[in-house]
Amino acid sequence: MAATLTRDELAVALGRTGLGDRAAFRIVYEATSAKLLGVCLRILADRQLAEDVLQDIYLTVWRKAETFDPARASPITWLVTIARNRSIDRLRSAAPMRKTTPVEDAHDLADAAPLASDILEHSDEVKRLNVCLSELDDKVRGVIRTAFMDGVTYDTLAQRENVPLGTMKSWIRRGLLRLRTCLDQ
Amino acid sequence: MTDAFNDHDERNVLAGELALRLLSPEEEVRARALQNTDPDFADQVEGWNAHLAAFADGIAPVEPSAGLWPRIDAATAPTANDNGRVAAFWRTWAIGATGLLAASVGAVAFLVAQPDPVVPPAPPAVVQGGVTRVATLALEDGAPILTIAYDTATGNLFLAPTTQLAGQDGVPHLWLVKPEGGVQLVGAITPGASSRLALTNILSGVAGEATAVAISIEPRGTTPAQDTPGGPVVASGEIQQL
Repeated sequence: MAATLTRDELAVALGRTGLGDRAAFRIVYEATSAKLLGVCLRILADRQLAEDVLQDIYLTVWRKAETFDPARASPITWLVTIARNRSIDRLRSAAPMRKTTPVEDAHDLADAAPLASDILEHSDEVKRLNVCLSELDDKVRGVIRTAFMDGVTYDTLAQRENVPLGTMKSWIRRGLLRLRTCLDQ
Repeated sequence: MTDAFNDHDERNVLAGELALRLLSPEEEVRARALQNTDPDFADQVEGWNAHLAAFADGIAPVEPSAGLWPRIDAATAPTANDNGRVAAFWRTWAIGATGLLAASVGAVAFLVAQPDPVVPPAPPAVVQGGVTRVATLALEDGAPILTIAYDTATGNLFLAPTTQLAGQDGVPHLWLVKPEGGVQLVGAITPGASSRLALTNILSGVAGEATAVAISIEPRGTTPAQDTPGGPVVASGEIQQL
C-alpha cells in the first residue's frame, strides 16, 4: 500500500493533517508507515513491539502535525526523527528484554538492506552523508552508523566493541566533528 | 576526555550526541534542558537530525499489518465530546503497551513494597478513563530512591521516595522529561515522606505526555527555573504505562 509521494506532496499532506484533515492523515500513513516501521524494527527487533510503537508514533503525528514547519525540516526527516526517538525511548524502558547484536552483525544487517527509498526525497542529503562518512576511519564510520541504526548509547557501544568508554567517546566525538565540518561545506 | 575542542565544537558535538541519543540518561536530561532553553543549540540538534535522517535511507521498508491503520483511525476519530485530537491525546496511553507490561507490573510490585506507602490499594483495573503511569528511579549504584504513579484520570501524582535521598547535600527536585525535549519542574521532594500531589492543568498535560522523570539536587534555599535544573541530575527513569 506504499504510496509514492514527492517531498512537497508529503509536506502538504502533513500540513493538512495538522489542520485536522483525516484524509490527509491517511495519505501520510500510507506513504510513510512502511519506512517508519523499518526504522522501529531496526531498533526494537520485535515485530509486535515495533507495531505498538508505530501506533504511538502516528498518534503523535496526528497531535503534533500542526507544529511541523516545512521551512525548517523535510517531512521525512521530521517523521523519521519522531519514529527513531520513540523507538529508542521504548527500547530503553524495556532494556532487560533486549538482546544485543554485535556491531559486526549490525553492519551486515544495515548493508544487506536494499535501499528502497520510495519516499526519501533527500537523495542529495544521502549522497552528502555517504561522501562525508567515507572520509572517516572504518571503525568510526561503523560505530556512528550503529548508533543511529540501533539507537544505543556510548556505554553499549563501548561494551559491544570491547573498548573503554573514554575511547568510544573519543572516536565518535572526533568523528562527529569531522562529519559536521564536511556536511556544512 | 583528551580531545581539545573549542566551545563551539563542544556544543556542536553535544548536539550530535543528543541527536544520535548516545548520552547517558543524566547527560541527556541536561542536554535536553539546554535544547529547550537555547535556540541556537536547538537549531544545531535539528541540523544533525536532518543530516542523520539520511541513514534511514539504508533501512528497508516493512509493511505494517493490515490491522494497524484501523486502530490508529479509531484512536484519532472524533467523538461527541471532543475534536478527535484530544481523544488521541488521551488514548495514547491506553494502547500499545504490550512490550512494557511485565516491566510495569514489576514497577507496581515495587511500589506496593515501599514502607509506609501513601498510595491507596490499586483501584480496579477498569476505571473510567483512568490509566496509571508509573516510574521507578534509582541512583547509579542501583539504590531505589523514588517510585511515582500518575493517575491520568484524576491528575493525582503519587510519590514514594525512600530515605536514600536524604543523604544528598541539597534538596531533591522532581522533573518531567517532555517527549519533544526539555524538562518541566514539578517541585521539591521530601526524602522518605510519601505524598500525593494534585497537578494543575498545565502540569497534568505535561505529566501525561512525559517520557521520563528525573531528580536533581538543588542548593538549599534556591528554586530552579521551571525548565532548567540548577543542580546535578542524580537519577532518572522512564515512565511506563499500564
